[in-house]
Amino acid sequence: MTMKYMDEFRDAELGRALAGKILDAVEPGRHYKVMEVCGGHTHSIYKYGIDDLLPENVELVHGPGCPVCVIPMGRVDDGIAMATENDIIFACFGDMMRVPGSEKTLTEAKAEGADIRMVYSPLDALRLAKQNPDREVVFFAIGFETTAPSTALTLKRARAEGVTNFSCMCNHVTIVPPLRALLESPDLRLDGFIGPGHVSTVVGARPFEFIPKDYGKPVVVAGFEPLDILHAISMILGQLVEGRCEVENQYSRVVPYDGNPAALKVMSEVFELRPHFEWRGLGFISQSALKLSEAYAELDAEQRFGVPGVRVADPKACQCGEVLKGVIKPYECKVFGTACTPEHAIGTCMVSPEGACAAYYNYGRFAREKELV
Amino acid sequence: MRVLRIDAERELALCAGEEGDERSTVEIALVQPVAEGDVLLVHAGTAIAHADSEVAV
Repeated sequence: MTMKYMDEFRDAELGRALAGKILDAVEPGRHYKVMEVCGGHTHSIYKYGIDDLLPENVELVHGPGCPVCVIPMGRVDDGIAMATENDIIFACFGDMMRVPGSEKTLTEAKAEGADIRMVYSPLDALRLAKQNPDREVVFFAIGFETTAPSTALTLKRARAEGVTNFSCMCNHVTIVPPLRALLESPDLRLDGFIGPGHVSTVVGARPFEFIPKDYGKPVVVAGFEPLDILHAISMILGQLVEGRCEVENQYSRVVPYDGNPAALKVMSEVFELRPHFEWRGLGFISQSALKLSEAYAELDAEQRFGVPGVRVADPKACQCGEVLKGVIKPYECKVFGTACTPEHAIGTCMVSPEGACAAYYNYGRFAREKELV
Repeated sequence: MRVLRIDAERELALCAGEEGDERSTVEIALVQPVAEGDVLLVHAGTAIAHADSEVAV
């Protein structure tokens, strides 16, 4: 059938049909673990109660694809130091402002007098620079390949328009290296992946071919509506039943298999790979993040202002690292829902709406196992 | 978001959200060519993909 509108991707009857197809595909007695890589999928799964439609032996494991969640504490401290030790306007996305550093959040630094402003896009930050020509404006860039093209385009615009009081503290990360790190990890046994839909609009589905090729696991790139996710799970199980193992694109209405060449081109002009970057919970991963290329070095805020660059260990009570690796469920964390809530988060996974802990907390999934007894 | 008006010179478009109530200016340099009425996937103020308005499942 042909689907045209958003609400058709939320159709209950079609959802039940897909749930039935999933039930038919599973072998009794076998436990299936499917990782949804992207935090957007985690959010949709709990918002729409998709896990309740799945057989008990199909477990969804939440992946590391939440941009705010993976920023390590040391980088938050670096941002706060840059914002407070220089007379600058420091611009960042809203959920980043609530991420705890070792002593405070950017919101608390703002309350103490630093000029920290929330923006919705890098272009908003560039607009701030044009409106305040006598002030330096730094944009704290975060995100996977979904957001990196927007930052790259903004830096190109800043240069083309001669805006010299604008620079960027770049924390963009890339999706393939952490997936490879997870696949190499002995902690985790997975049967397949729901591939990240929005990242794939930029990079395409092709970069995930290493997962079936090198690790023998199916990947289905999926959209974010409930039927998209159920369809993707059904496609993964279909591959397992038929003994196939490949990358399939469920989200072809938006994702071209080879991505967006214009976005990839602007990223390659403006960014280059960092030799290594620290991820919260995953440690240092080689060539997993972006910095400004030599050609754009004069717009690099780290070079313009310097940062302390001190590595800070995560708080002992917080188990965000294990949640990000899919090793534990959010409710298994010692501080989940007690000391750590969205209002007073200890860890990043509770701060961002895309974080697994926030998704569980906001949609009442305090302890799935207990509910099933 | 659906494209309402295009500023071709600056590669910007005025777009409306799913319900039609939310409007914003969107960078369209990465998804050219764009026409009025097109549906775009917008992330952080930048369109990163065209969305087919109809899809077979």
